Amino acid sequence: MYPKGAEVLFIPHWIFLMISLLSLGFFLRTIQKRIVPLRQAQKDPRFNHWRLRILGLLKDGFLQIRQPRYPFSGVVHLVIFWGFVVLGLRSLQLIFYGLGIPFINPFSTEGIWHFYAQLKDIFEVLVLIACVLSIIRRAVLMPSRYKGSHQFEAYLVLSLISFLMITDIALDVSHFALKNTPIETISSKITAGLFKAFSASQLRSVFNISFLLHLLTFFVFLNILPVSKHFHIITALPNVFFKKLAKGSIKPARYGIEELEDLEYLGIRKITDFTWKHILDFYSCTECGRCSDNCPANLSGRALSPKILTLKLREHLYSTYPVFRRPTQDSQIVGEIVGEEEIWSCTTCGACERECPVFIEYIDKIVDMRRYLVEQGENPSTFNQVFLNMEKTGNPFGRPGQKRTEWLLNLEGIQVRILKKGEEVDTLFFVDSYPSFDPRSQLIASAVAKGLSMAQVDFGILGPLERDSGHQVRRMGEEGLFQLLKEQNQKTFEAIRFQRIVTTDPHSFNTLKNDYQLKVPVYHYSEYFLELFKTGRLSKKGVPKGGRYTYHDPCYLGRHNGIYEAPREILEEILGVKLVEMKRSREKSFCCGGADVSLWHEVKEEERMAQKRIGMALEVGADRIVTACPFCLMHLEDAIKTMGLEGKIQVLDLMELIISVC
Amino acid sequence: MDIVVCIKRVPFTQEVDLEIDSGQRDIVKDGLAFVLNEWDNYALEEAISLKERLGGQVTVVSVGSEEDEEVLRRALAMGADRAIRVDAGNRTLDVRCISRILAKVVKDLPFDLILTGAQADDTNEGCVGVMLAEELGLPHASVVKGVEVLDKGLRIRVELEGGTEEISLIKLPALLTIQTGINEPRYVSVMGIRKAAKKELKVLALEELRLGSGSLEPDSSVERLFFPPEQGGAQMLTGDPATIAERILKILKEKGVIQ
Repeated sequence: MYPKGAEVLFIPHWIFLMISLLSLGFFLRTIQKRIVPLRQAQKDPRFNHWRLRILGLLKDGFLQIRQPRYPFSGVVHLVIFWGFVVLGLRSLQLIFYGLGIPFINPFSTEGIWHFYAQLKDIFEVLVLIACVLSIIRRAVLMPSRYKGSHQFEAYLVLSLISFLMITDIALDVSHFALKNTPIETISSKITAGLFKAFSASQLRSVFNISFLLHLLTFFVFLNILPVSKHFHIITALPNVFFKKLAKGSIKPARYGIEELEDLEYLGIRKITDFTWKHILDFYSCTECGRCSDNCPANLSGRALSPKILTLKLREHLYSTYPVFRRPTQDSQIVGEIVGEEEIWSCTTCGACERECPVFIEYIDKIVDMRRYLVEQGENPSTFNQVFLNMEKTGNPFGRPGQKRTEWLLNLEGIQVRILKKGEEVDTLFFVDSYPSFDPRSQLIASAVAKGLSMAQVDFGILGPLERDSGHQVRRMGEEGLFQLLKEQNQKTFEAIRFQRIVTTDPHSFNTLKNDYQLKVPVYHYSEYFLELFKTGRLSKKGVPKGGRYTYHDPCYLGRHNGIYEAPREILEEILGVKLVEMKRSREKSFCCGGADVSLWHEVKEEERMAQKRIGMALEVGADRIVTACPFCLMHLEDAIKTMGLEGKIQVLDLMELIISVC
Repeated sequence: MDIVVCIKRVPFTQEVDLEIDSGQRDIVKDGLAFVLNEWDNYALEEAISLKERLGGQVTVVSVGSEEDEEVLRRALAMGADRAIRVDAGNRTLDVRCISRILAKVVKDLPFDLILTGAQADDTNEGCVGVMLAEELGLPHASVVKGVEVLDKGLRIRVELEGGTEEISLIKLPALLTIQTGINEPRYVSVMGIRKAAKKELKVLALEELRLGSGSLEPDSSVERLFFPPEQGGAQMLTGDPATIAERILKILKEKGVIQ
């Protein structure tokens, strides 16, 4: 049967052979250049958990379930993506046809090919519509999240894709008209009238010109991919496949290195100090700006925009490893390409990573850059005393360990066991530094202790033996100090027998759960108390005060650990509170300002995050914000004071609310 | 410029309710954390930043036990090139003895400048630096808040009474005792300190120094340590915030805290 179309195509095969070889060669050369930094980058063990990764690829790579979080552009993107999947085969067919190599005839109308001809036509029309809508949306609505993105590239690629669709439709329809074997496709129906007026030679010209333009455009498009933001068409699926699976944790200073002392330096000095996966992240950024659109630092006018951070690093990567020249000197990044203020602006809230459709990682990169600054002694000088206090006394305040139990004085008539080495207890209550020493946070620790006591849980605290969990110092880039605190705590844990750990603070919960390698389960009090209520060990006696309640999700409880429902269940089902949800809630929750850098370093900003958050609560008419984190409580209470809203809106910790009615 | 810095490890007493031991001559040190004396930290930073600008070597010296090596390691991590610890065993030493020991060690080291902290956080005597200069016959200045390198010496800024300051010229070699606030000491990471464990740390036994027997006999000793009795002196200010603020400002000026 093949090649029926040969008589239609009058352009010689050798022309297509030349075009194909030239463009393919060029494309492969660029790709080869792109592989160089991947190979020179640091190790990162991602060839594991195959089942999870394949499932993730299906869910987030092919079904792209994150896309419709922005409904319009999400659906449009899905159409274009699936169009590419369906039309990939079509492109192969046309290339081989042009080369005169017998492969599946692109104009076959038999059997399954009849169905494919219709399917591909439907997608061509859909993709064309999607491209036109995208162009109009960019040009007319101009969404702010595209600020700083390569707009010209976007228009160019959308035009190229549209042109590919138009030329394929034209060559297809003219071919069927010539051969007089029309298939009932949308395009052929629409264009039937038009093509009837054409003579056979005119139709042949239409076919040949369309065919040539289609393949030329295809190869131009192919070569644009690895030098533009559309490289994601190639790298996004692998990037999704190799996404970070260990949520909440921070990457080690270097993978594959046992003794960190042997390293010349920690963290990121030059671009290849990133891991290969992080380099792949740079390749995969689509510049959609969803990260920055949800980044609290960006939204409160700080010097950080995650998208711009990626773009700057990518640009630096490309200029260090250019396509047409030899690699240049790999120069310093921190302070040169990325500003220090930018690096300290991040609260590690994880909103950017939660939104990114291609799973680009930010927190690990930022922490890695901080590690470099800290090791060079270039951190904000206010950190010096905090770090020294942590090292010497195990808390940021420099208070002696013996005073770690002073908060117990708040508890009237309740005995709390202070555990000693060799003892045994059912539940270890890990208080951590702020709830041990900070007067406001102490009230939460007291509430937890009261609650545990009421539920007759056999529990104890470590008292002077407890050291700071190290959550903050790790995220501030003092990795050695984190390791020290972790070792000290782990030694204590090994000397005491217990079944579980319950924490006051989502941060210590996160770090004990995800950064330490413990054999016992770790719970934040919200999860544990839900269990106590459900098993009847604790029950409510009264009802919470009236008011319009809303719940603020702490980042390290929600986004980093997926605990959205436990606090809500306690509030709504156990305590009988009716909640109104803020626009940004659950995984879209808006960070209060964070629990690390912001406590000791004033970052330049237009408006405090906590003030913005209070604004969001007011927007839904709430006058009581419940949260489950001492730092959220602190920041939000501060904001209420600075906004002069005392008496109008109030923040309380979930645990305090529980205690007030039990 | 080769610089020697003399440093000391002291108890970390901020936020601690100190207790006096049964002998009433010392505080209870069990459970206390120890750190590099704050003034020494500034002296060290000054030395290292001078070295970074001008080249040369920085040597740190401390008289103390094996535990005190911790501050020497910190100094090495900060950028010092060599560290020497003189092990004095259990001997009770006063400032005079310490300065004689240091003089003996420093004498054989190459140096253009010796820096010490203006005082130590624990005993607050502020003597060792000056005594060491006397032992070595060096020109010296105390409570230095600024150092500028000239062709043939240093231009230094010295803190005097009542918030006044004095600018002096001093020839090298010289000894300066450094006041806090002269610079911003850099942070030394825990990993940095671990790495510095590889740098050389020389330990000298006191006997090796061959000091005359009289040199190690203290001239002064602690008789009794006690908390001063609580006294009055607190002044209550009343009025609206603006008036109070004005009066505080006036008092601070009178006391020479601000100018």
